[in-house]
Amino acid sequence: MSEGGLGKGALLLYSITGVITLFLLVPLLFPIVLSFSDTPFVVFPPQGFTLQWYAKVLNEPDFTTPFLFSVQLGLLAAAGALLIGTPTAMGLVRYNFPGRGLIQGLVLSPLVFPMLVTGIALLRLFTSLHSNSSLTNLAIGHTLVTVPYVVRTVSASLLLIDPGIEDAARTLGATRAMTFWRITRPQIVPGLFAGGIFAFVTSFDNYAISMWLADAENFPMPMAMFALISRMFDPGIAAIASLMILMSIVIVVVLEWLTGLQRAMSV
Amino acid sequence: MAVAETLPAGTARGGWRGLLSFGDSRALGAVLLLAPAVLFFLVVFVVPVGLMIRYSFYQQTQTGDLTASATLANYVRLASVDLYRTVVMTTVRVSLWTTAIAMLLAYPLALVMVRGHRMVGRALTVIVLAPLLINVVVRTYAWRVILANGENGVLNWTLAHFGLGPVQLLYTEWAIIIGSVHVFLPMMVLPLSAALGKINPAVEEAAATLGASSFAVFRRVTLPLSMPGLAVGATLVFSLTASSFVTPALLGGNFAKMLGTLVEEQILVVFDWPFGAAIATLLTVLVMVVNLASIWLVERRFPSRAAEAN
Repeated sequence: MSEGGLGKGALLLYSITGVITLFLLVPLLFPIVLSFSDTPFVVFPPQGFTLQWYAKVLNEPDFTTPFLFSVQLGLLAAAGALLIGTPTAMGLVRYNFPGRGLIQGLVLSPLVFPMLVTGIALLRLFTSLHSNSSLTNLAIGHTLVTVPYVVRTVSASLLLIDPGIEDAARTLGATRAMTFWRITRPQIVPGLFAGGIFAFVTSFDNYAISMWLADAENFPMPMAMFALISRMFDPGIAAIASLMILMSIVIVVVLEWLTGLQRAMSV
Repeated sequence: MAVAETLPAGTARGGWRGLLSFGDSRALGAVLLLAPAVLFFLVVFVVPVGLMIRYSFYQQTQTGDLTASATLANYVRLASVDLYRTVVMTTVRVSLWTTAIAMLLAYPLALVMVRGHRMVGRALTVIVLAPLLINVVVRTYAWRVILANGENGVLNWTLAHFGLGPVQLLYTEWAIIIGSVHVFLPMMVLPLSAALGKINPAVEEAAATLGASSFAVFRRVTLPLSMPGLAVGATLVFSLTASSFVTPALLGGNFAKMLGTLVEEQILVVFDWPFGAAIATLLTVLVMVVNLASIWLVERRFPSRAAEAN
């Protein structure tokens, strides 16, 4: 078959695909276009050209404070997810026992369980325990929903390495901890990296958990942006959206360069 | 991305017997590795969800305490009050439309990703995956700019140029559907392209050689064989749309409420915890029913493939 197996309809199919691709990408261009508009309100078509909105939002505590808070929260969540997810992946890949499927289902379940409901359950739990530290609550909630990503990326890495080397190290007298640090860890670095980045990005973008656990002092970026949409009418809001899109593009490039985007997202 | 596919057991040694024959040291290894995660998930996930469901069977008194005996009152209220029934129907309707439209759009994308020119396929994969890393609030904001009612909306401005419009889309169910399709389309494309990739092209060539038209090959061979991927994608898109908050809140506003926006209001504004818990439980049941139905459908129609996937 010509065209790598698409057959006679190839041209038509490529055209339809082109249109759908535009539907996916073009909407994301509008915030960028509008962010340069030299008008006091967001208007279309934009008028003039100015960078003042970028200067404004970069000095706007309503943007910078939540941004830095989300970076901090993302790092905590990534650390928590690596700490819990890495041993879990090792246990699931290296051992087979009755109930293995059940444990695996349990640690991957936050991906399919409605996250909004997970957030409500967590709020109920923390309220009952009188746990008032919003940062701690958020870090625990974000760790819970990012563990599955680490389990998947680290498992994928573990499957590629030879467990015989670990057995050899143990036979030669290395302790469990030493074997992990000196033998296993160096070999699964790509999995740890991809898992950590995913945990960070997932936490940074999370809304469904944060909306229940955040408070005025601990206010993550997506919630700040949501709040600004309904009270900031100048193109500054478009500038914030553009900065977030830019950040995502950087992450896409880094992931593509590190492991290949498709592999990193375990497709 | 969110497909909870089963991890292969890899280099595992089989069964408790295999484990025990290595002595207690090996069994201890597995327990030490898995205990933290199991404990963590029980304490902050399984038990809290159970407690929340239990909460939905009680009522709140004036003082904020719970009534002594269990009751179905919250569920009766959800089913009998018109306002809440409307919200449930809107949620189901929006999620079904989003799923159907996403299926239609995902097919050509997935086909080109798998069968198209290699470079095109690779570029398309990045184009489909990349938006997943852009915050939902940002992606939804873009749609607010496009759909804005009045002459400043991108869509209405464009329509006016052609002497058409204006249309009132923002704060309607269709705004939520359009936004949700845009946000969740990748979740349909990924499992679908995975399923299409597994189809042996020789089967389709055989059908074509035997005289089937391109359309007949698609309808009788490709489509049925890609059903498992389509089922997974549909389940994901339906579940994510039904339990979303940001998209209905920003694009539907007060005029098109969904379960996500209703539960937020009940818990964070009205503080009616038991009723909020009942809404959350209903949402969970809705999502679980769709998931189980999809698994059942795939296993009944594709017993061999389901076994292979496990």
